[in-house]
Amino acid sequence: MKYKKWVVIAGVLCLALMLAVLPLLGSACAGPEEKTIKVGISTPSTGPAAEKGAPMGHANLDCIKYINEELGGVDGHPIEAVWLDNAYDASKMVTNVKRFMDEGCVLFTTSSSKMMSSVMEIANRDGFPGFAAFNAPVLHRPPQHIYGQMPDYGDDWVAFSRYYMENIWKGSGKPKMAMHLLNNTTGYGALDAAKAAADELGIEILPPEEHATDTISEIESLTRIKEQNPDVLYISSTPAPTAVIIKNAVELGMYPGVTIGLGHAGITKALVDIAGADIVEGVYGVFPTVNWGDNVPGMAKMTEYCQNLHPDDYGNMDYITSWAQSLIIAEILRVAVANAGYDVLAKGGEEAWQAVETQGIQKLNYDVGGLHGPVIYTPGDNRLSKSVRLFQIQGGEITPITDWIEAPLVKYEEFDWFGQ
Amino acid sequence: MSLPSGTRNYTYAQDMAILRTKTHWALFIGFLVLLLTAPLYLGNYWLGVANLIGITLIAAIGLNLLIGYCGQLSIGHAGFIAVGAYTSAVLTNRLELPFLVGLICAGLMAGLIGLIFGLPSVRVKGFYLAITTIAAQFIIIWVINHWSITGGFVGIKVPYASIAGFEFRSETSQFYLIVSIAAICTFFAKNLARTRVGRAFIAIRDNDLAAEVMGINLLYYKLLAFFIGCFMAGIAGSLLAHWIGFLNAEQFSLTESILYIGMIIIGGLGTTIGPIFGVVFIRLLQQILTVEIVPFLERTFTMLPAGFATGVTPMLFGLVIILFLILEPRGLAHRWALFKSAYRLWPFSY
Repeated sequence: MKYKKWVVIAGVLCLALMLAVLPLLGSACAGPEEKTIKVGISTPSTGPAAEKGAPMGHANLDCIKYINEELGGVDGHPIEAVWLDNAYDASKMVTNVKRFMDEGCVLFTTSSSKMMSSVMEIANRDGFPGFAAFNAPVLHRPPQHIYGQMPDYGDDWVAFSRYYMENIWKGSGKPKMAMHLLNNTTGYGALDAAKAAADELGIEILPPEEHATDTISEIESLTRIKEQNPDVLYISSTPAPTAVIIKNAVELGMYPGVTIGLGHAGITKALVDIAGADIVEGVYGVFPTVNWGDNVPGMAKMTEYCQNLHPDDYGNMDYITSWAQSLIIAEILRVAVANAGYDVLAKGGEEAWQAVETQGIQKLNYDVGGLHGPVIYTPGDNRLSKSVRLFQIQGGEITPITDWIEAPLVKYEEFDWFGQ
Repeated sequence: MSLPSGTRNYTYAQDMAILRTKTHWALFIGFLVLLLTAPLYLGNYWLGVANLIGITLIAAIGLNLLIGYCGQLSIGHAGFIAVGAYTSAVLTNRLELPFLVGLICAGLMAGLIGLIFGLPSVRVKGFYLAITTIAAQFIIIWVINHWSITGGFVGIKVPYASIAGFEFRSETSQFYLIVSIAAICTFFAKNLARTRVGRAFIAIRDNDLAAEVMGINLLYYKLLAFFIGCFMAGIAGSLLAHWIGFLNAEQFSLTESILYIGMIIIGGLGTTIGPIFGVVFIRLLQQILTVEIVPFLERTFTMLPAGFATGVTPMLFGLVIILFLILEPRGLAHRWALFKSAYRLWPFSY
């Protein structure tokens, strides 16, 4: 009994030591060193946005596995993914990016706009190219070293509002739009667009309401919204809070009734799973990729990998986004290697970052197997794909209702209020 | 303080000295050499982790003075850090004032806001006080998000720290800046605990009624504890702002506030060395779990169900903290004290 405490402490220390040396054992078991190209990938695979981050992380890594094993990497050089979870935590994301820089990554990716916003200044200061799947205007207006894979949350709002005015609104005068926004760049990116384009589109914007990622009830804010008799409710948020808001809107008798539109962070399979198909029936949303099962060249291979490696993610459109993101990374690297040479990229550091940006990203002209709009760099516009589509939830399925819609560039930095 | 057998003090200065034996000095110099040469053998990533540890340490020292020494429970520390961060950001970005002005004002502003939220401590204590400080967390973040000068939800850019024309651009230069300020704060806290103020704090923590009977002004000392604790949080916030270069309010969550309390409990409440142990332990644990263990599990055990590896992080994090609280509720500082005693008495047990 005398030694019991020490035995327990020794046991805990041994456990901690074992956990600490696991990665070393892994690296010891690795094969001979190959001439790889390193990219940093950070996803919120744990924490409050894990319902999006986990499938996105899986897709990134599954696609890189496909590129390395079936396509022979980038001109024969395997892509080495340095993947790190950021837990949707800004300070972890900061150290993650420094690690990417240290490990010789030539670019880094994030899936969420919030995570990119917490490190964009570090990346911009050092010229380390960052590539955000989901992004907001503030990340790349004015354009520096951060690129958006797809149109931003502001573009979603413009696309939805234009569709609403042309196809849904049958009344006279200006329709009243209420906005329920996540309290970060995901939400307020949409508000930026509303400020910039509502007058032009002929929409009256009601005072916006906001919510947090961990909200459990929005009855109070929706009651305020209901009192103003809105015609349309636009929600720019992640799936879990979006589900809460729509459920509460149903409880208050607002929906069905008002039209509900969602930004691309919210309309995903997770929303249908969390809220229930009957609750979200008829909800509109903007998303920048195709849907599962669509007849596009890139669908078969992605489906095969998803069903083999992460079958739970099948049907989740976030998986498509990140699969496409990895395909674009490979194309960026291929173009950069062709223009600047492998040796420049292999060195890592500022020269490699500059080469990836000027000789890779800025020379892109790529079709992502039809998984989303074409990826073309336009000077002054760091959104690489500029197309979105409108979807509607019908019978529990997220069903496309339009073809690709081009999202025009909004120069937010020319407005006095931007960033204030 | 217990000293090795045969060590005597012959002057008051000797009695008050922090480093009292040759071994103390040797270890201290060795530690300093190791610390100051760290940029030579640490890459940017580990220097970044060290910088994060340094910044967290400054805030944790402040919280330890408030909770550990004075017994005033505060669950809004991340909010006070945010006050400092945004004060510095606004002064250096919008008003283009020098970094040092931003740094000092960050401390003062956080201290003043701390005073306001510390006022209820005169009437309430324990869990009731904890609830009032949670209010600080939410009110501060709400104000930041809705005040245009702070950049609202979008956030605000923060320039590099600079002193007398020298810009702290590299991770190494930031490391020296942060370590210097962390050292000053540690030294200040160590000495404060040995002064009349420190003893008043401890008296209030142990029994505030008895302390008042002994002539200690509860209002003054409780508010002083809030001011000092929040001042340090403000300094940490300013350094964080200039280190990251961009702020938005989501960086200062309630979870972060709770984590700070976890750090000082694991380290050892009411000791100078406790926050150091706690901060280093928690921050390294976070890094090792999320940066090393999870990617390794994800890569190696592909047959595991989706999300298993990522789910391991919070489970292991919680498990380690629970084990610590069960096995060593008095914190790592107590374990350190036992180790030192055993070392001094070795090879004799008693």
